[in-house]
Amino acid sequence: MSQSMETPSTNHTSEQPTLPRHLQLGLSDEQVIAALCGMQRAREVDDRLWVLSRQGKAHFVITSAGHEAIQFGCGWAIRVGHDYVVPYYRDMALALALGQTSLDLLLHAMGKPTDPASGGRQMFGHFSSRKLRLVSGSSSVGSHIVHAVGLALAFRITGETDIASITFFGEGATSEGAWHEGISIAGVHQLPVVFVCENNSYAISVPLKKEVPVPDVATKAAGYGMPGVIVDGTDIFAVYETVRAAMKRARSGGGPTLVECKTHRLRPHSNSDDHTKYRPADEIAAMQEHDPIQRLLAYVVEHNLMTQEEWDAARQSIRQEVNEATTTADRVPDPPLESLFAHLYGTEEHDA
Amino acid sequence: MQTITYRQALNETLRQELRRDPDVMLMGEEIGVFEGSYKVTAGLLNEFGPKRVLDTPIAEEGFVGMAAGAAMLGLRPVVEIMTINFSLLAIDQIVNHAAKIHYMFGGQASVPMVLRTPGGGGIQLAATHSQNFEAWYAYVPGLKVVVPSTPYDARGLLRSSIRDNDPVIFIENLALYNTKGEVPDESDDNDYTVPIGVAEVKREGTDLTIIAYSRMTVLALDVARRIEDEEGISIEVVDLRSLRPLDRPTIIESVKKTGRAVIIEEDWHSYGIGAEIAATIQEQAFDYLDAPVRRVAGVEVPLPYAKVLERAALPSDKHLTKAIRETMQGVRR
Repeated sequence: MSQSMETPSTNHTSEQPTLPRHLQLGLSDEQVIAALCGMQRAREVDDRLWVLSRQGKAHFVITSAGHEAIQFGCGWAIRVGHDYVVPYYRDMALALALGQTSLDLLLHAMGKPTDPASGGRQMFGHFSSRKLRLVSGSSSVGSHIVHAVGLALAFRITGETDIASITFFGEGATSEGAWHEGISIAGVHQLPVVFVCENNSYAISVPLKKEVPVPDVATKAAGYGMPGVIVDGTDIFAVYETVRAAMKRARSGGGPTLVECKTHRLRPHSNSDDHTKYRPADEIAAMQEHDPIQRLLAYVVEHNLMTQEEWDAARQSIRQEVNEATTTADRVPDPPLESLFAHLYGTEEHDA
Repeated sequence: MQTITYRQALNETLRQELRRDPDVMLMGEEIGVFEGSYKVTAGLLNEFGPKRVLDTPIAEEGFVGMAAGAAMLGLRPVVEIMTINFSLLAIDQIVNHAAKIHYMFGGQASVPMVLRTPGGGGIQLAATHSQNFEAWYAYVPGLKVVVPSTPYDARGLLRSSIRDNDPVIFIENLALYNTKGEVPDESDDNDYTVPIGVAEVKREGTDLTIIAYSRMTVLALDVARRIEDEEGISIEVVDLRSLRPLDRPTIIESVKKTGRAVIIEEDWHSYGIGAEIAATIQEQAFDYLDAPVRRVAGVEVPLPYAKVLERAALPSDKHLTKAIRETMQGVRR
């Protein structure tokens, strides 16, 4: 079904059975703790946005809850500020993993002039930063895939080596024409791009079996001349190991890879729906057991990277940070009316 | 008469048409279990089942083209595109296929499909969720384009659109779904229709004509009422209801009567619907004009997310009032 990668993502205990997984992967204790705290920060901002939406301060909210391990695992595999990242609206935790802050996200959600993504122009979930090489997109599902392919083509044409682009999308996007067209061109030219599908098995309300004709998105890769790999998207180490190998392969001229990370969307699609109306109650209850934050926390505690007390204190401090960011963002005045036409045409100088 | 919302009018009409004609079917994203992003298809999957109310994958070009194919065989698909913004993903199927098939096949195949989709802004959905592309579709021969402003017209035009043998772009408006209006009681309904291509004078007046459609008609009626009360200016409001075919005679007749015209549209100012109306008026009623024709339209930027910027970019009652006063005074811009 799916072709194997140069670094197998399973059987991680074969060489040094006593070494904890993160050390086997070359990750320090601090990196693991930072990722756990980052994932919790994403969840805390997520929680906060739903409250702000009820208060009328953040008009649009779209969740990343349940996707944090995928996004932080990929964060480790991306050379920040070097590789290009083309995200989709579910990637709030990825924005944090790459270096955006709670305040950046709150400014974005509240449409403030200092919103780093768009200066209050784009609705929440359209993350961008030239410095982080995080590329903004439209709300049309799957339409950004082709941009990641175009970036990869540009590396090829300009002779830039040891660089890759990576793009993210849900399994629903793999029905779109632009997805097929983009991934097809990447396969034809064996471009340095990694396609990461965050498969949470729902396109808003439509379940996987009604949107994808095969059980695994990864099998679609076979038609496009690249390997397709399935990984448990609640396991940050498995995601990292797989995506690191795919990025290495892309950067070294080995061509594109489709990585399917399977996970659960722990909350409704956005603040405009109620998932209890279309998901069975037992499914909603059961998926809470697959919370990627709890999974990583269990690992961290098991390997004595943090005590429960230290974790409680970290959580408290993250909440405090998000409280302060909320207050700060809320106090920023709305964009001035005279800025309405700013950025319509490209007169600015861009930092590379 | 009974008072219902624009959303209810659409929902009940879809139900009636599905009951009336077994060839009618619905397809689109999130229209079944989810009952539509704006709940226009509520209850229809339950009543008619998944064969006639089809949840599609996220593949706009695919399912719009599929509807055209099914329509060629005599089905009457009513396709929902979540917002008009995403209709652009299907524009090749709409413009190069659905609109031209009957003509290109020398009349041997019709495409009796309806593409329902909401346009408009004002609810902070930003640049790629809040646009007005009616001018794009109204430009294309072979398409019919309707833009109802009231529950009564929404019902009558939806019936006409579904029963029409040509592809109809049925444009709803995000901010109209909860607006209310009168429609006949079920017992008095008589299956009425509103003909495609016929405008309506929604309010009679003698001093100035406002030409509007969709949500801007509602805004125009409010402004006309207020200005007449406060300033004694008698304003006629022509609701276009259809953009293609365009009911030019009703526009011209009104302007000949009042001698002044202001057009309000939610889309961008340049190359918009207003430009076509203004050209029509100068071609056919130039000698009757006492003042230049004025257009009130959206500011030419992608619609921003921040509420203050969004409000500044959309045409409002203030802009319309100012244009009316200036037109009454014969002020040239």
